[in-house]
Amino acid sequence: MSYGSTIKIPVGPQHPALKEPEYFLLEVDGDFVVNVKPRIGYVHRGLEKAFENNTYLHDLYLAERICGICSHAHTTCYTQAVEGLTPLEIPPRAKHIRVIMAELERLHSHSLWVGIAAHEAGYDTMFMYMWKEREIIMDLMEEISGNRVTHAINTIGGVRRDITDEQANKIRKFLDRFESDMKGYIKALENEPTFIKRTRGVGILKPSDAIATCAIGPTLRASGIKNDVRKDDPYLVYDEIPFNVIVNDGCDVFARTIVRCEEMIESANIIRYCLDHMPSGEIRIKAPRTFPPNESLGRVEAPRGELIHYTKSNGTVKPERHKVRAPTLGNLLSVCKTLIGAHIADVPLILAGIDPCFSCMDRILVKRV
Amino acid sequence: MLGELINLLIFPGFLFLITISFIYEWIDRKFFARIQGRYGPLYTGPSGVLQPFADFLKLLSKEDITPAACERTIFSITPIVYTAIPLIMLSVIPLNGRAIISFEGDIIFLMFLSAMVTLSVFLAGWSSANNFSRVGSVRAALQMLSYEIPLGLSMIGPAIVVGSLSLSKIVEWQIEHSAWFLWLQPIGFAVMLISLIAELERIPFDIPEAETEIVAGWMTEYGGRKLALLRLGKNLELLMASMLISSIYLGGGVQIYFLPPLVVLLIKSVIILLIMSLIRGIFARFRIDQVTSGMWSYLLPLMIFQIMLIQFGVD
Repeated sequence: MSYGSTIKIPVGPQHPALKEPEYFLLEVDGDFVVNVKPRIGYVHRGLEKAFENNTYLHDLYLAERICGICSHAHTTCYTQAVEGLTPLEIPPRAKHIRVIMAELERLHSHSLWVGIAAHEAGYDTMFMYMWKEREIIMDLMEEISGNRVTHAINTIGGVRRDITDEQANKIRKFLDRFESDMKGYIKALENEPTFIKRTRGVGILKPSDAIATCAIGPTLRASGIKNDVRKDDPYLVYDEIPFNVIVNDGCDVFARTIVRCEEMIESANIIRYCLDHMPSGEIRIKAPRTFPPNESLGRVEAPRGELIHYTKSNGTVKPERHKVRAPTLGNLLSVCKTLIGAHIADVPLILAGIDPCFSCMDRILVKRV
Repeated sequence: MLGELINLLIFPGFLFLITISFIYEWIDRKFFARIQGRYGPLYTGPSGVLQPFADFLKLLSKEDITPAACERTIFSITPIVYTAIPLIMLSVIPLNGRAIISFEGDIIFLMFLSAMVTLSVFLAGWSSANNFSRVGSVRAALQMLSYEIPLGLSMIGPAIVVGSLSLSKIVEWQIEHSAWFLWLQPIGFAVMLISLIAELERIPFDIPEAETEIVAGWMTEYGGRKLALLRLGKNLELLMASMLISSIYLGGGVQIYFLPPLVVLLIKSVIILLIMSLIRGIFARFRIDQVTSGMWSYLLPLMIFQIMLIQFGVD
């Protein structure tokens, strides 16, 4: 039904559905969104300039702090880019430890997201259960790395801490329980009529639109397109690990939930494989302080999608230029496309559907004078 | 005269009901928390039983803000109305064997009051001069359009069988025939439970105060004493709903051996409360259009079918 005239509804920068400041101007006809204008840059922190002003080792700590959830993905990507400058081959045990941490982080990030999605749909019980799981994962990561959020386990040339047999057994024990519980949660989500009513058919992103708007990560995979940096351009030891790229052709918020849930089970298998096939030996090699003039690109499949770090060295201890492309930026256009035609009540759910992390994303600031 | 006053004000009147309503909130919160794998209230009193009361006192001591743009009179009066209406509704329910007020046609009176609750919600949100409140109050009014008729019909079903529009008569009939309307009219019971959950704005019908969409909905601008009153009103409404449904469909307050009617009624209404908490724990929130279309296309035909069954003598 059309009312002829439209009204403009601002969502953000302060809005209960958004955990971070970002602005979407919705043009609404009746109860339906007809146009969306995003405005980014509220949490611009000048990170890329800061990268240029610090040494490579200092930048590692900066990279750690780009995101509060996928901090390990950022350091993995950063070290991958910097190690590619000489290039530097890190010991295989270090690679395995990086993979284990990355997948633990994926478990933590995805369980956080499934909780948030359930909460946006008013399904608070699932929110509590998922966050309880997340708490245990964070405790595990704390035991391995010493920190819950900024793990600081990566360093240029390897990792800083080893995983002992005792810790490995603890992770294995957790994974066995987690996997069976996760299957139960998936069953609950697939059979919960109110949750299905709120999420199925909501926020449709057609495969052609997904490609046209350059969607990435679970959002793209939920539109039925097999795309995963771990498979397409394997880094670390992902080429040795047998795993499936989870896809779902539902194209809606429900499919995005299920894709993330099934990815968690896949991640659990990856961690198990890594723990079983971890070679012994060194965990780090000594890295040089300066890098010869060169440029290098790091690509990592972060929990939210493809993450890119580009670095350019000039022979000094500081990089000449460092560029970060966080996954949310890649999904921003697709979410604007998805929002068109949605009910206003579904807007928070669709916005949450891409697992937005706006603070990681803001690299530019447009100032109109 | 003095006896009447004590009946009305202390036992089993207002003071008793308010105290019980705090305990009901505690049961609700504790059970809900246990479903979610949390502890719930823990520190204030044994197992946190005094927590709702402590929250109430804390809110009373907070600063009372009235936004400059709001409609002052309505904004200040609605919390009082919202608290008073459930108390009046409770006095129609036969608590201790007999009701404080009872007259032929008090079921119609109850329906009228339950519509008044939503009307006060609408006014509260509308007078707040806040976008979130306005959306919340419009949603509350829309929701009322969907549950009001099934709720009314579910109260009429037993009244047709009894041949009286008095709640006390319905309870007496059940005692006389030692039969519960739950077994005679199970569809009516289900419809009434669902409609009352919608009236109480609890999950899956917490649309007027959907936290992730419109902050606190129609309550967004309220704080301090007014919010304390609104929360008390919510508790009383919860108490009223669970007692109303156990009076109409579960036989109400009846003397069982040494157990006085009030205790029996409390036990029955706690069971209803636990069912409501369970439903709150296992569902997500509907969208407003889904509620309206769902209620009109499923609940209302079901209830009309139930009334037809009664008319054809199947009970």
